[in-house]
Amino acid sequence: MNPTLGIFFVILLITIGITYWAAKRTSTTADFYAADSRLTAAQNGFALAGDWCSAAAFLGFTGLTALYGMDGAFYALGPLVAFCTVLFLIAEPMRNTGKYTLGDVIRSRMQTRTSLLAAIAGTVVVNFAYLMPQMAGAGVLVRLLTGISYDWAVIFVGVSMIVYVAFGGMLATTWVQIVKAVLMLSAGAIILVMILAQVHFNPLTLFADAEQKYTAKYLLPGNYLKNPFDQISLGLGYTLGLAGLPHVMTRFYTVPDARTARRSVVWVMFLAGAFFAGTTLFGLAAADFVGQDAIRAADKGGNLTLPLLAQYLGGGKGTFGGDLMLGFVAAVAVATILAVVSALTLSTSGAIAHDFYVNWVKRGQVEGKQEVWLARIAAVVIGVLAIALGILAQGVNVAVLVILAICVAASANFPVLILSLFWRRFNTGGVVGGMTVGLASSVVLAMIGPAMRGADALWPLVNPTVVSLPLGFLGAVLGTLTWGRDKENEQRFDAFLLQVHTGVAAK
Amino acid sequence: MARNETLLEAAHALGAAHASVKQLIAEKLKYLVPMTVIFMVSYIGLTILAGFARGLMGTKVIGSVNLGFVLIAFNYLLSWGLAIIYGRIAADKFDPLAARAAMEISANGRSR
Repeated sequence: MNPTLGIFFVILLITIGITYWAAKRTSTTADFYAADSRLTAAQNGFALAGDWCSAAAFLGFTGLTALYGMDGAFYALGPLVAFCTVLFLIAEPMRNTGKYTLGDVIRSRMQTRTSLLAAIAGTVVVNFAYLMPQMAGAGVLVRLLTGISYDWAVIFVGVSMIVYVAFGGMLATTWVQIVKAVLMLSAGAIILVMILAQVHFNPLTLFADAEQKYTAKYLLPGNYLKNPFDQISLGLGYTLGLAGLPHVMTRFYTVPDARTARRSVVWVMFLAGAFFAGTTLFGLAAADFVGQDAIRAADKGGNLTLPLLAQYLGGGKGTFGGDLMLGFVAAVAVATILAVVSALTLSTSGAIAHDFYVNWVKRGQVEGKQEVWLARIAAVVIGVLAIALGILAQGVNVAVLVILAICVAASANFPVLILSLFWRRFNTGGVVGGMTVGLASSVVLAMIGPAMRGADALWPLVNPTVVSLPLGFLGAVLGTLTWGRDKENEQRFDAFLLQVHTGVAAK
Repeated sequence: MARNETLLEAAHALGAAHASVKQLIAEKLKYLVPMTVIFMVSYIGLTILAGFARGLMGTKVIGSVNLGFVLIAFNYLLSWGLAIIYGRIAADKFDPLAARAAMEISANGRSR
């Protein structure tokens, strides 16, 4: 039997078991969206690692480093540094002021229906821009690894995520993420030890071999990110965009208090950070051992670098060890996608069922029991939509959507969130202004850039964050000033501050 | 009369809570501003160097490892270090102040 399918079948059985267990413990709205806020710091730290490391991180960073050298290492460093922003400025206030969604934070600050709509728009756009390439990536990956057709692969991934989320809610999603994180870190640790054994535990050899094989230029920046401003955009997009990704930020609602939220960030920084640092060594090792030609032959974008490296380290093609290692890494890659798409589906269901239907349409007048069912139905509908979009996306260039997701998160969601938490005069006009300008500038610039139009680009940068992020802030400030002074809102800010910093709402 | 007194007490408790939170925010700013500046300068500075000083980044430091990779490694260590320092400071300085303010808010809720 194909080892990939075998190992993956075992992972699938475990996650279905988790879902069955979680479903019996999911009855209230708080259970469904936030696992009743009872996770420990370590549990949430592992889940955050499972949530934040997408297939792009698991497979992409290694591939980029193998093919382009230092730029791949930049891709891997950013997502760790991003957690400094989250740790210092976002995690604890988020825990203290919200309940289930990003919209909750904006709503409790502004208490206007318009600002809630703006927050919903930001969440839905970012989540779908992130979800669609994950589904398309799942289709390609599962087809490459198992031979199942693209459409069936997308349907399989989509149905699994619908089952996890609709039945097991946040508890099942969390444990799927924890299982995935443990598998991913184990795979990383095994590969690292095997690489080090090859070079007699002297990692410097990896650099020397790479330089000898591909010249010193390979170890310089700029092989992938040719435009210097793209390098800066990447950095800004990561450091400020993570804080605007609703599916990661809602993880802070699963812990009881700000202190636990903070400690879970420290956990994820060590867990995910160690893995990211590892990918740089994996990439160099793959370039040395497997070779760039073989990597490109398997997949032009380098996305199969890590499986190929694992196969080499296990003994090579056709050996039992080689097949086993390849199967293990490939199965973990699929688990990685499942964990991320589940979180995206859950977070989008929060924006649609909780923010839009319950709080906007029904003005909060919905019974608890009914709200859980609404959330489950929303999850199924979103899942089906994701499957349809995933199938439609076959052969379409989805790279632009990946950039768009992080760019909108940094340029629209982040300015609105940070100003809501820290600026007294910030008002509904600012929320609308920041969201509109951040969203519009990201979408327009990404669409006319090289990621979408290739050589016909009307604008030179692949990633427009370096321009759209300041524009988003400008929109937020101008919106605030145009709206005019809102005395009541400014007075309420004192009470809001108490809640931001203590988690206790003044009566 | 009694009603006025409890109202006064409530206002007093809330006032104390506001004062405590102000102190907490001042304390947070004292640490968070420099820490945020440090990691942003270090990381965004690195991306600027990578974009505009590619030759400098290629300066050999240890064997084939160049300055760029050394700075990348430094940023990993810096992020981890700042995370641990933040955890310590928050537990020692922020949590007691937040707990005090939370108690004062609850006192206000009770006397109503």
